[in-house]
Amino acid sequence: MKKLSKLILSLPLVWACTSGEDPVISEPKIHYYIPEVSSTLQVAGFPQPERNMLSEEGVALGKRLYFDPNLSGNGKVSCATCHSPSLAFTDGLALAKHGVSGKGLHRTSPPLFNLAWQSEGLFWDGGAHDLESLNFAPLTHPDEMGADLNELISYLESDPVYKEQFEFVFSEGQIQSAQISRAISQYVRSLISQDSKYDRWKRSEAELTELELTGYQLYQKNCSSCHQEGLFTDRSFHNNGLDKAYPNPPALEGLYQGRFRITSNPEDMGAYKTPTLRNIVLTAPYMHDGRFQTLEEVLDHYQNGIQVNETLAPALSEGIKLSTTERVAIIAFLNTLTDSLFIQKHQK
Amino acid sequence: MKNLIYTALFGSIMMFSSCDDVEVPATMAMDISLEHVLDGQTLELNGKSFTLPSGEDFTPKKFKYYISNVALRNSVSGETYVEPNSYHLISEDGKKSIDLGMIPSANYDQLTFSIGVDEVANGKTDQTGDLDPNSDMAWNWNTGYKFVVLEGEFTNSNSGERQGLIIHIGTNPNFRTVTQSLTGVIAGSPTSLTLTSNLDELFKDPNILQLSELESTTIMFGEMAGKVAENYSEGFITVK
Ligand code: HEC
Ligand code: HEC
Repeated sequence: MKKLSKLILSLPLVWACTSGEDPVISEPKIHYYIPEVSSTLQVAGFPQPERNMLSEEGVALGKRLYFDPNLSGNGKVSCATCHSPSLAFTDGLALAKHGVSGKGLHRTSPPLFNLAWQSEGLFWDGGAHDLESLNFAPLTHPDEMGADLNELISYLESDPVYKEQFEFVFSEGQIQSAQISRAISQYVRSLISQDSKYDRWKRSEAELTELELTGYQLYQKNCSSCHQEGLFTDRSFHNNGLDKAYPNPPALEGLYQGRFRITSNPEDMGAYKTPTLRNIVLTAPYMHDGRFQTLEEVLDHYQNGIQVNETLAPALSEGIKLSTTERVAIIAFLNTLTDSLFIQKHQK
Repeated sequence: MKNLIYTALFGSIMMFSSCDDVEVPATMAMDISLEHVLDGQTLELNGKSFTLPSGEDFTPKKFKYYISNVALRNSVSGETYVEPNSYHLISEDGKKSIDLGMIPSANYDQLTFSIGVDEVANGKTDQTGDLDPNSDMAWNWNTGYKFVVLEGEFTNSNSGERQGLIIHIGTNPNFRTVTQSLTGVIAGSPTSLTLTSNLDELFKDPNILQLSELESTTIMFGEMAGKVAENYSEGFITVK
């Protein structure tokens, strides 16, 4: 299966040679591949940009960059500082202060997996078009890794192992910022969580308990319109009733306005991307600013805390009423979305 | 593929020229230089104060912008040269010229270019050359490029205090294409064009910017950014 996909992938390469672009030196030792995708994700194929196709060597380089604190301005912060594999690539904090400047961030670190399918934009407000473009944000932001891209390139150029890896993966004499971002993107895109108890149950490899099954039904009834089964997100943006009003201090450039900041569409005021519920037990605290510590608090919010305004998602206007036993059941089901295999596999 | 078209274009011009009496070389050197002017004076970023169309004073600190998709055309014969991969970051303290190199010879009488970065190139930032995000022109949280950046200080006429002005205009609706006529370009002769960027035009025509009356002196998105874009769509960059 893997061999076949390599064969198919080598075709566009050959074609690229004859189309008059840069001649590709044919040392086809690069191992392009398409990851296995479980039917339980309910997606078609593995989308990736033509300009940055996954290869084993690219992913390995990206992984090294991802965990390397030397990429940051002070040599102390890596991607993993805020997106740690053991917490499904989050940091367990609401608004972290562990970037280079030590200043608090304004949003919480989302988990990083199944992002290949986030076609409607990345970040809580969908402002980043793709991983390749997004990476420059954490790399250069003073409150995150605070790197100067030119200094970063000097560092990588001076490391013979990096130098060789970059040359191998990208076949260009000079390391460029675009390559750094592409390699990291390959690693991040390769993170796929699809082996939770829920997945195994759907594949008839495991059974859910009575309680978990009840929880599943409650989830389907109350949550699945947004946290759609498969990826457990509809990849869309909604106002789920966290706030009534959205202050806009000029220095923050609309940061509290959610998706509106990107689209300037009044209907998007206070709307954020539906986060996945996969691995949800591992990724507390919750919501874009990490305001809820526990899933109990989240259910309290949906039951009693909904703030009503013009942009509130209609499905939530009455709140979501659940009895005590129903709450226990729904949380039991959410626990079946934890993918220990994925967590183990990606420990550094 | 693009190369092929150029070769074809090139070839046909060669054939053409060989029929003429006077042998016109198939290609000609072409470069464009840019001058930055505010209130009739050459722009400086060293603390010098200028007067804006509103009458307010302004001390510029940073001025950068993208010129893209440069094309030359003879409006009679239709001969056209389109620069491939045409993205130029121009800045007061950096590059102020565009070298088109050797281009097919023609009596070009029209210059077309865009202010900003076209929608396709503006949709991603892992790019190289003048679009490399290392130049501080890529937006981090909203994928795309700043098209025009002007920063500086002015005296607020209401409070009497010095205040910062930040103009960062980008986003696809603010991408503008300009066509200007050229005179005196002769097929086969090396040509240097000069363009003038009139910074006054960012602050007027049709929208006068009265800095002291602005709700926010950080102009990045929304209505005010659109107004500045409207201002720069005409008269901002002109052939000297
Ligand atoms: C200092 C903490 C910090 C560091 C370091 C950091 N991030 Fe993030 N990351 C965040 C926060 C906070 C967000 C959410 C920002 C937002 O949505 O506005 C985020 C969002 C993301 C997203 C979007 C995910 C989604 O579902 O939309 C990706 C992808 C990402 N980061 C990758 C990285 C990579 C790769 C690195 C290293 C190059 C990195 N991050 C370093 C804090 C950090
Ligand atoms: C109308 C759409 C919608 C419905 C219905 C909905 N959610 Fe959400 N949910 C969202 C959005 C949007 C967010 C992110 C909001 C934010 O951070 O501003 C979210 C956030 C969450 C989070 C936090 C995730 C994280 O990573 O921070 C949890 C947990 C959650 N929802 C669980 C549920 C459960 C359980 C139900 C059903 C009882 C439910 N949701 C119903 C749209 C919805």
